Amino acid sequence: MTGVTVRFGSLTALENVDFEARPGHIHALVGENGAGKTTLMRVLFGSQRADSGEVTVDGAHVKSRRAAIGMVSQHYSVIPQLKNLQNLMVGAEPGAVLDRKRDRARAEGIARAMGFSFDWDAPSSSLSPAGAQKLEILKLLWRESQVMILDEPTAMLSPADSEELYTSLKRLAEEGRTAIVVTHRIREVLDHCERVTVLRGGKRVATLPVAETDEANLARLIIGHDLRERGSATAEPGPPILMIERLTVLGDRGHRAVDDASLVVRKGEVVGIAGVDGSGQRELFQALIGTRSATGSVRFGGIDWLNLTTAKRLASGLRLVPEDRHAEAVIEDWSLFENAALGLHRDPPFAHGHWIDTQGRARQAGVIADAFKTRYGSLAQPMKSLSGGNQQRFVAGRGLTTQPKLIAAFQPTRGLDIDGSAKIYQAIRHECRQGAVALVVGFDLDELLVECDRVVAMCQGRIFEAPGGLERDRDAIGRLMVGVG
Amino acid sequence: MVEVLFASTVTLTAPLLLAALGGLTSERSGVMNIGLEGKLLVAAWATGFVGAASQNPLLGLLAGICLAVAMSLLHLLLTQTFRIDHIVSGMGINALSIGGTSFASKGLGDRSQSVAGVFFPVWMYWILAAAAVLALALALDRTRGGLRLLAVGHDPDKSRQSGVDVGAVRLRALLATGLLCGLGGALIVTNATSFTDGMTGGRGYIALAALILGGWRPLPTLVACSVFGFVMALQLQLQGSELAGAAVPSQLWGALPYLVTLVALVGFLGKSQPPAGLGRP
Repeated sequence: MTGVTVRFGSLTALENVDFEARPGHIHALVGENGAGKTTLMRVLFGSQRADSGEVTVDGAHVKSRRAAIGMVSQHYSVIPQLKNLQNLMVGAEPGAVLDRKRDRARAEGIARAMGFSFDWDAPSSSLSPAGAQKLEILKLLWRESQVMILDEPTAMLSPADSEELYTSLKRLAEEGRTAIVVTHRIREVLDHCERVTVLRGGKRVATLPVAETDEANLARLIIGHDLRERGSATAEPGPPILMIERLTVLGDRGHRAVDDASLVVRKGEVVGIAGVDGSGQRELFQALIGTRSATGSVRFGGIDWLNLTTAKRLASGLRLVPEDRHAEAVIEDWSLFENAALGLHRDPPFAHGHWIDTQGRARQAGVIADAFKTRYGSLAQPMKSLSGGNQQRFVAGRGLTTQPKLIAAFQPTRGLDIDGSAKIYQAIRHECRQGAVALVVGFDLDELLVECDRVVAMCQGRIFEAPGGLERDRDAIGRLMVGVG
Repeated sequence: MVEVLFASTVTLTAPLLLAALGGLTSERSGVMNIGLEGKLLVAAWATGFVGAASQNPLLGLLAGICLAVAMSLLHLLLTQTFRIDHIVSGMGINALSIGGTSFASKGLGDRSQSVAGVFFPVWMYWILAAAAVLALALALDRTRGGLRLLAVGHDPDKSRQSGVDVGAVRLRALLATGLLCGLGGALIVTNATSFTDGMTGGRGYIALAALILGGWRPLPTLVACSVFGFVMALQLQLQGSELAGAAVPSQLWGALPYLVTLVALVGFLGKSQPPAGLGRP
């Protein structure tokens, strides 16, 4: 790709970017949010038109080679209600009438070559995130893609599954294909990729062999200045304040999503909850908020937490950064003003008795928006006009600037870059030094290990703690996440 | 008695089935369709009117199908191009159809009333309805078009990612809806031998209920339609009969199919899984 420029209105998303990936390589593309990584890949894939620039594959203009490029976007294209075989071929069926024997034989062949095995007649809803990721890769192979673009492929995977993914990619690269991986995780770049391109602010900063760089250097290239060191060391934790005992929560399918889980959190602690997506983190949080019934006991500051209404829990200082921004955190048609008060509308500074305190609300909304540099035009604009990353900044700001006592944060840095993530964790730790406690669910174990005081693992609804001395040991916790202690 | 009941069950089931299958293709593509009633009605009117005017059953049927297809495409245009809420568009189509056919049947004269015997025999429709069930069941399971229909209905965005042309799938689905509802409406007027105002009598809604009970799948939808058809036939038989020695008002028997619909929906609704992308752009 040479001289690619893309403009959205007055905003220049990409400016004269050159990009080159070689067959047989895993090429990493890194950069902050809004650096233009995904836009560049969309231009390559063909779902975004470039204002100028040229894209060639194997020396031919990209239009003639469109079929050779495949992309796995951040949001998987696997449809859970369909069967695995149906998902594999939808959109690229071999004929108008489907011949199951023939299709299955081809699917088996492709899967076996990769060392995967699938039950082709099983519904895809039964796939784990790693399984869905594998199916996505097979979809590209089914379409005979030579260039494979993967956008944040390991965002939802456990360390072991990530390793396996890169092993697969390596195998594909050895066959002469090109794999391009867009990622936030520098460690993966260093461990698995041959070359790396860094974008910053829509421009290419560097393309270099991974062997010639290191973590600090890459971080500097990405954010343009040195990464700030993690704030203070672990503070002396106070007395136990949050006690979860034998908590059991039933999931949507009637299974024990949280199964007899116990956890003690001391005053001032930031506890990371590591685990593969779907290990019960969601249901644990819903039980803490009170939107899902639970058995067992939760005591916070001596109060029987499960007997409180959700409103009382919020009034007692529960602050939430939920998993699903759109569904659980904001009302997209409402303004930033209104969203600032969402859930906290009963109490000051948002209310005066039974009345809305519009001035207090406006002031607090400004504080929330500025806390993590939400980019917005006016506080009166609807939430949906903000980009995903900016919505996340706002939601995190709301949770962390309104006197939290118990912070429950689900992937609080989802979709944010290094700088934004660091600021959010700083704020969480700051509140905890003031006496709050925080539970942080994350899918990136490395991030949790760096940012939290202690990391526990969740697997199949149970909470496991690493034995003394290994509370921050990557391998020990990684094993607990997949249930091998 | 039993033979009469059976024959009238088939007679009453067939139009329900055609309409429900029409709803199936539409809703499987993610387009909610409460406008089945309206499509049945315009098809019934056009088949009766053109059939009588031209004295040609084929022209009558074609006119019915064309008008139902036109209504179906109007729904597609409103919901996909202009992004109008699917329920609102469906309601609009029903209102337009009720008013339009009422106006047309008076304004253009009651020619359809005066002539009988310009229709195809009803068994032709029965065969078509049965064939449609089988064809749809096979298509959903074994063809590219069927697979794409399922995919689009569950998740239009992900289908686009996989290279499916969502608009094309929906266009074909809604064409099929128009065709099937056109046949259903034509059958209703054929059964009655002439058009009367509002003659579909809510059968489009009962078909929708059958579709939901059938879990948006062809064969279970056939079963649900048959149950409704049977209850409708039963109420005709029970008209004028007594219950525990007391005369039962005919309206009460007449309400039976609707009551069964209500009870069935309340009882089964939670268990039926709709296409996940229903109503999504």
